[in-house]
Amino acid sequence: MKGYLYLFLILVACCCSSCFQIVEEINLSDNGTGTVNLTVNLSQSKTKVASILLLDSVNGYKVPSKQKIQKEMDEVVAYLKNSKGITNVSRKLDLENFVASVSFSFNNISNINNISQNVLKKLKVNAISSSSYSFSPVTHVFERNYAHNKEALIQYNKLKPQVKNVFKEATYTSIYRFELPVSVCTNPLAKVSASKKAVMVRTGMLGLINGKTNISNKITLSK
Amino acid sequence: MNFLTKLTLTLSVIFLVTGLKAQDLQRKIPSDALVVATLKGKNMLELMSTNEFNQTFLGKKILDKVSRSAKNKVNQVEELGFNLSADFYYYNQGNDSVSYHCLLAPVKNAGKLDELYTSSGLKFNTAGSWRTYYNQDSTELTRWNENILYFVKGEGKTTYLYPAAQTSIGITDTAMVAADSTIVDTVAVAAAYDTREIQEPAVRKTKATKTKTSGAKKKGKVHSKKHKARPARKKPVQIKEEETDPTEAVAMADSVAAAPAYEIDNSYSEQLAKKKAVIARCVQQKADDFITKGESGSILDNKDYVNSTDQHAEISVWIAGLDRLIGGYMPSNRYFDGKSMFKGYGSVVAKLYLEEKNIKIGTAMHFDQDMADVFKKVNKRKLNKKFLQYVNEDKLIGYMAYAADTKAYLEAYPKIISRFYGSTYGDEIEMASDLFSLLLDEEAVSKVVKGDGLFIFNGLSQKEVSYKSYEYNEENFETKEVTKTKKETLPDFLLMFSSEDHRLINKLIAYGVKKNFVKNDQGYYEMSIPKSPLALFFTLKNDMIFLGTNANEMAQIAGDHYVGKISSRHKKMLNNANYAAYFSSKKLAGKIPAEEFGNTAKVEKANKILTSIGDIYMKSDPIEGNAISGEISMDIPSSQQNALKYLFSLIEEAKK
Repeated sequence: MKGYLYLFLILVACCCSSCFQIVEEINLSDNGTGTVNLTVNLSQSKTKVASILLLDSVNGYKVPSKQKIQKEMDEVVAYLKNSKGITNVSRKLDLENFVASVSFSFNNISNINNISQNVLKKLKVNAISSSSYSFSPVTHVFERNYAHNKEALIQYNKLKPQVKNVFKEATYTSIYRFELPVSVCTNPLAKVSASKKAVMVRTGMLGLINGKTNISNKITLSK
Repeated sequence: MNFLTKLTLTLSVIFLVTGLKAQDLQRKIPSDALVVATLKGKNMLELMSTNEFNQTFLGKKILDKVSRSAKNKVNQVEELGFNLSADFYYYNQGNDSVSYHCLLAPVKNAGKLDELYTSSGLKFNTAGSWRTYYNQDSTELTRWNENILYFVKGEGKTTYLYPAAQTSIGITDTAMVAADSTIVDTVAVAAAYDTREIQEPAVRKTKATKTKTSGAKKKGKVHSKKHKARPARKKPVQIKEEETDPTEAVAMADSVAAAPAYEIDNSYSEQLAKKKAVIARCVQQKADDFITKGESGSILDNKDYVNSTDQHAEISVWIAGLDRLIGGYMPSNRYFDGKSMFKGYGSVVAKLYLEEKNIKIGTAMHFDQDMADVFKKVNKRKLNKKFLQYVNEDKLIGYMAYAADTKAYLEAYPKIISRFYGSTYGDEIEMASDLFSLLLDEEAVSKVVKGDGLFIFNGLSQKEVSYKSYEYNEENFETKEVTKTKKETLPDFLLMFSSEDHRLINKLIAYGVKKNFVKNDQGYYEMSIPKSPLALFFTLKNDMIFLGTNANEMAQIAGDHYVGKISSRHKKMLNNANYAAYFSSKKLAGKIPAEEFGNTAKVEKANKILTSIGDIYMKSDPIEGNAISGEISMDIPSSQQNALKYLFSLIEEAKK
């Protein structure tokens, strides 16, 4: 799913100079099936985005039109619908508030591992990080392995200073919900909910880009 | 760049030197200099003593750097050996291949300079009274005696990328390299003068086979006159570089030129070394000419330059011709050859005056007769006097006014374009110009937009805007979409321009009202901008169109009860100039929302700086003769002794 995030990041970097939010939610059942909901929220910068969308390019970057954004989202949805183990794909695009979200169901968490890379490849965007997910219904261990890619920082450093500002206030939120309570959670940034059935990590985008923040996590559920 | 080079350059923007009279130094500047900058040491010392300068951040920085390099404590700028009460000069001279940046500084005590170089471990040669120091690749040379310091730095121009020039010195770094090795030698001819008795600049050893093919023909682009005096005979200081006889270098260049492209070593460093070797020879020649040529062909024989000199200006810059200067740096290729964006632009003069009550920069730009005629017509229009009724000095923070004659400009536009493209596309431009005039009714356009306008900046305001965000419950981090609010900072302005013919504008308004883009209020209109917190209002009144962000102000304009307030100073500036601008940072202080800075400390610092900056005025007067003059000035607070001390205090405050 990180691939999607970067796709949107690039879009954001192309067209605004204020902050944004990325929210990734995964609901996982005991049998390994589940749902994903990914949201990119540019609402806090909607004034700037609205005015920038009137332009052809800004800071030397081409500004995508609303039609282009809609078309690319449709292409992503079409790709997801044809992906193995992925069903119930839907998308929401609120161009009033500039909030975009994609949700779908999966048969196995491993189904989403290669999707992000392939979607980015399809959109001719180089993937700049890699994440893989696994869950064992036997051991009840959910794992997210996140590997920072130096390319992310290289690409970031190539951006113009005013575009870099986009990432300073940007946040990334990741929420995993389970049917069973969490007994162990390894990431020190993670917070466990009162019900013990959800884990949340909230961090700044800049930390992910420069590799200072690691969002890898190993969550063991009670049996 | 070694420290002495840096120091010398720094000195050009501060003040230093004695020994020779100022007039004598100036006479050494060649008549074909493209740019001459003068720094009046005496004027500077009247504003700030050397002791005071030593205590400034700049003084301390220079002394610290020199002390560290010389490994010897230097306590005051006087110890550098220059005469600080005399004049310093920078000038630029060039040809189609090399640009020379030169500095002239009067020396008070050459012994101190010798000491500085020696203690810094920088070896220099001595020949008679002249000492000469070369940088590592000999593209920079510093030469001094008891009276004068001369520094020259050579820079290769892009014309080196010309196939002919490349071939002649064996440069092959582009695909443009000519396969024809018999191409006429150009750059190498610089090395063809008798170099056996002078210092030999550094040349990196190349792998090229030393087989002479053809002699260099002396019709190159670079100066190649034989020098008369050779003040120093030792080889320049070099690091890890092998020296070679320049005549041998010519032979190398020739042989490389003759070799097939695939045999040429293309490594970047080697190509660079070859370029630098040629530049080094040119620099050497330039330095020798400086001594041997005496004062013939001096800039003081240039009437235009002499007329531009001003004893009262602390710093002055004279540019012989903007067209020549820019043209010298434009890439030479098929896109730019034969075209000149500044054709018709003559000499430019800029002077800095540091006075008791203000800092002033006066400028003058000269044009040829054709361009002057264009400006005379375009600048004939003055600002609409009725605009002044809507200026409220109590409220405004700044303004910008411009007056030009739209009709004259539209009529002159094709002419300006055809001058730019010159003869390259002469026929095509002529046809396009005719089509332009045919399609455009200049008279009609000038009635809709007459060409004068006034923009008044009244400050900043904040408006609350809503946005979507998320909250997560503690129980299971369920996401809930919530609406939050934040403040956005928006500009508050009023723009007005003259228009006689409102038919098109009235139609646009009627269309906007019909499509709900425009809302008709009492006598004025509100524009609806989707998703924008910025409200825009406009109205038409007495052949003027007003556009602004304040509804009350617009209602007052529409209702004819706007109360303005303008002083005679601003009235005079707006009435007389073709371009006028004013900005008061003091009035802006305290009005920038804290959110824009992030924290209180930054807000306080910004406000402190804004408060300490005086009011800024800019204006451009109508053309007089063939010259347009302009002025930028800044008032300085009454608590400050003079402009120079004020500038230093301002920078020191900003550095905190």
